[in-house]
Amino acid sequence: MSWKRTILIGGIQGEGVASTGINLMKALSGIGYYTYGERKFSSRIKGGNTHIMITISDEPVTCVTSNINIIMAFDHETIDENRHLLSEDGLMLADEKLGMEDAAIVSLPLTKLAKEHGSPLMKNTCAIGFLGKMLDIDRGVLEESIKRSYQRKGEKVVNENMLVLHGAYTTQVEKLEGRKGIPVLSQSKQEVMMLMGNDAIALGALMAGCRFVAAYPITPASDIMEIMSRVLPDEEGLMIQAEDEIAAVTMCIGASYAGVRSMTATSGPGLTLMMEGLGLAGMTETPLVVVDAQRSGPSTGMPTRNEQSDLAALYHAGHGEFPMIILSPSTIEECYELTIDAFNLAEEYQCPVILLSDFNLSLSPQTIEAIRYRQPDINRGVIAVEKDLMEDNEDAFERYALTETGISPRVFPGTKGGIHKVTGLEHTVTGRPSDRKGNRAKMMNKRNRKFASLQDQNSLSVEEREGKILCLTFGSNWGVLKTTVKDFGLKVDIAHIARIKPLPVDQLKKLFSRYSKIVIMEQNQRGQLAGIIKQELGFHDKIISLTKYDGEAFRTKDVAAQLERWCNE
Amino acid sequence: MNMKDYSNGVHPTWCPGCGDFSVLRSIQLAAAHLEIPREKMAVVSGIGCSGRISGYMNTYGFHSVHGRSLPVAQSVKLSNKDLTVVAAGGDGDAYAIGMSHTLHAIRRNVNITYLVMNNQVYGLTKGHTSPVSQVGLKTKSAPEGAQDTPVHPGLLALGAGASFYAQGFSAEQEELVELIKAGIDHKGFSLINIFSPCITYNKTNTYDWFRKHLVTCEQAGHDDPENLTSALSVLQETQGLMRGIIFRKTGEPTFEENHHLANNPPMIEVPLEPTAEKFQRWTARFRLDG
Ligand SMILES: Cc1ncc(C[n+]2csc(CCOP(=O)(O)OP(=O)(O)O)c2C)c(N)n1
Ligand code: SF4
Repeated sequence: MSWKRTILIGGIQGEGVASTGINLMKALSGIGYYTYGERKFSSRIKGGNTHIMITISDEPVTCVTSNINIIMAFDHETIDENRHLLSEDGLMLADEKLGMEDAAIVSLPLTKLAKEHGSPLMKNTCAIGFLGKMLDIDRGVLEESIKRSYQRKGEKVVNENMLVLHGAYTTQVEKLEGRKGIPVLSQSKQEVMMLMGNDAIALGALMAGCRFVAAYPITPASDIMEIMSRVLPDEEGLMIQAEDEIAAVTMCIGASYAGVRSMTATSGPGLTLMMEGLGLAGMTETPLVVVDAQRSGPSTGMPTRNEQSDLAALYHAGHGEFPMIILSPSTIEECYELTIDAFNLAEEYQCPVILLSDFNLSLSPQTIEAIRYRQPDINRGVIAVEKDLMEDNEDAFERYALTETGISPRVFPGTKGGIHKVTGLEHTVTGRPSDRKGNRAKMMNKRNRKFASLQDQNSLSVEEREGKILCLTFGSNWGVLKTTVKDFGLKVDIAHIARIKPLPVDQLKKLFSRYSKIVIMEQNQRGQLAGIIKQELGFHDKIISLTKYDGEAFRTKDVAAQLERWCNE
Repeated sequence: MNMKDYSNGVHPTWCPGCGDFSVLRSIQLAAAHLEIPREKMAVVSGIGCSGRISGYMNTYGFHSVHGRSLPVAQSVKLSNKDLTVVAAGGDGDAYAIGMSHTLHAIRRNVNITYLVMNNQVYGLTKGHTSPVSQVGLKTKSAPEGAQDTPVHPGLLALGAGASFYAQGFSAEQEELVELIKAGIDHKGFSLINIFSPCITYNKTNTYDWFRKHLVTCEQAGHDDPENLTSALSVLQETQGLMRGIIFRKTGEPTFEENHHLANNPPMIEVPLEPTAEKFQRWTARFRLDG
């Protein structure tokens, strides 16, 4: 029987709370446990409460549990805000320094030991020590993990941290005696990795041959540009921090027009500014990959809270009508794979491709089975070859030739015999501005028919559990839904959708026809995905929306309660 | 090669007599003098009467959106350093909607040339005020005359650290050709602000008005374009009404040099397929096996 334990570590922002949690996750993952970390922080740098909630198991974890087994508090707020989530046999631990006079709380000399052996900041290591001892983790494992993360700071810092860790392991705390740790693993250890959605997206982009990234910093997308700024210079590529998102997306269009695979990453406020670029890429049929790591809106909204409310705007993006693809990864593995797909689709269909992530998917570190090296299929779409080029090298190459598929050969500047024009104005086959109605209709139809061959590609994943009702979702909710039906033993079939635009209408129709009720689970107020599905394929009487829009991820026990209700209705 | 080789024969939509014709001819002449292979040149423009210019060149051309010629032009150059990239557009493009891109492009110093076809009004929208409209200029959107202090392109550019700043005049085509050639030859970002009269919507700043008011660098007593102090003071003294190479700083590191791209092959030639060794490197941070 599989088990789960959840630990919440909280304290003042800027004091290393998140990295304490991540170090613990790494140590556990390294010895075969699976972990998932949900981070909560506010949009300020220092001060304010922050926490990381970590669920540990012997099986892959894709969301945190609804209750917490151990709270480790560096400040009062961590206890006040979270004690109602504590499980019956739960434990509250707090730094002795806080002077908590609550019999239910076990005070630990975190700052005291840290000061004694090193510096007060090492209270993080001290907390890891107490947690490690309680969980029955071999001290050597934590030593290795701490060594690795402080290596850069020099030998003295490493040694002091070792002493602090040792201190925590050897301090006897009466109230903790006799508590059981986490079960010893029975299965053999898999090769694993720990990464979050943004890491997987960046890795996918690198594997897909992305060499140019232009972006403007924004939570929760910034990691992508940060990773690329470290890696791309070694790959003869470039990460450029643009002056705003309009420049970022337009630079990507320029790079792509010139023949380089490019990408930008943003969140709601930046996406709003990028609408202009999406239209330009659509009209000029320039490949474009845009990551939208959604956060709560509108306007600046809640920058550090989860939401999936950009979808409606994206689905109808821009003024005018142009083809666009929206891919929606639901797992870390899909973040990696769909990013590679995004680059191929953008070039195959010569259009913008949005990779729709969300706060929790982008920023929650997770232990996964290691991604293995495989040479990705790189499909650059139709590119003009020798025989297509103009012998006289005059400005007459038909970049927008009216083909049966609607897809015309691309050619990159610098190519002899490929000279043509590109414009955001409606244009002729050679890219010259034209507002003649005959030409307009032909060009609109050409762009519109590009997706015919995409329609059939499978983009639904369904898990059957003898359910009479189906619950469909996307993004980070999938991890919650999957865990819910399993942990609560619900007979509900579940599915997630990997491509929202063009919507896989036929596949959805076929799937929906098998159920009496379809619950669409999403993190926004209006049920945006449900709205899109109803608009495109009806089923008004079958579709029920399960929504949440308070900024916190869905919790399994709430989802279970709702699904059970609908099962019995 | 001659000027004709760089024309695609499309008849411009401009009003007969518009200053933009001369800018077009000047780019074509400059390209011919420099013998730039047609396919190795890309002209990227914004939106406006001026923005149409990329559509008349027998070279690669990208007519982007209003104010965005520079983001496209910079990345085209960074993607393929073998190309000669010229960005072009109006004063609305450069100093209003695209102002931020202009300033940041100057700061970055990517090796491209930017031609601002400055007519002090919005031509394409049929005569609205521009950020460089002179105080008092009556337009459709300022019937009582423009009131806001005009942008001073020269001081702005030099303040932002421009490595090349010149001003030309449509009616001085020979000089303009030389300015564009110097701009293209300059290693780094070159900004050329060109007085290109709109004969339809600006009845104040006409060809004659410019002939009367513009002075050459020599006349202004500015004989050393490398002298920033002198450049700044003549720009102030003439209120920007001068022509010629006003400032040029050679040896200023380009964006490409600062970002270690200068010695790389053109980015489009970098192979896409990742090797297993690269994969190992990129995933090292995520692996937990030791
Ligand atoms: C985002 C956006 N806003 C407004 C317009 C309308 N518009 C087209 S050109 C232009 C200004 C043109 O003035 P300028 O850049 O000086 O070029 P000119 O026509 O004088 O050459 C405007 C406001 C547009 N195309 N796009
Ligand atoms: S309106 Fe003015 S700027 Fe536009 S083409 Fe006519 S003269 Fe030139």
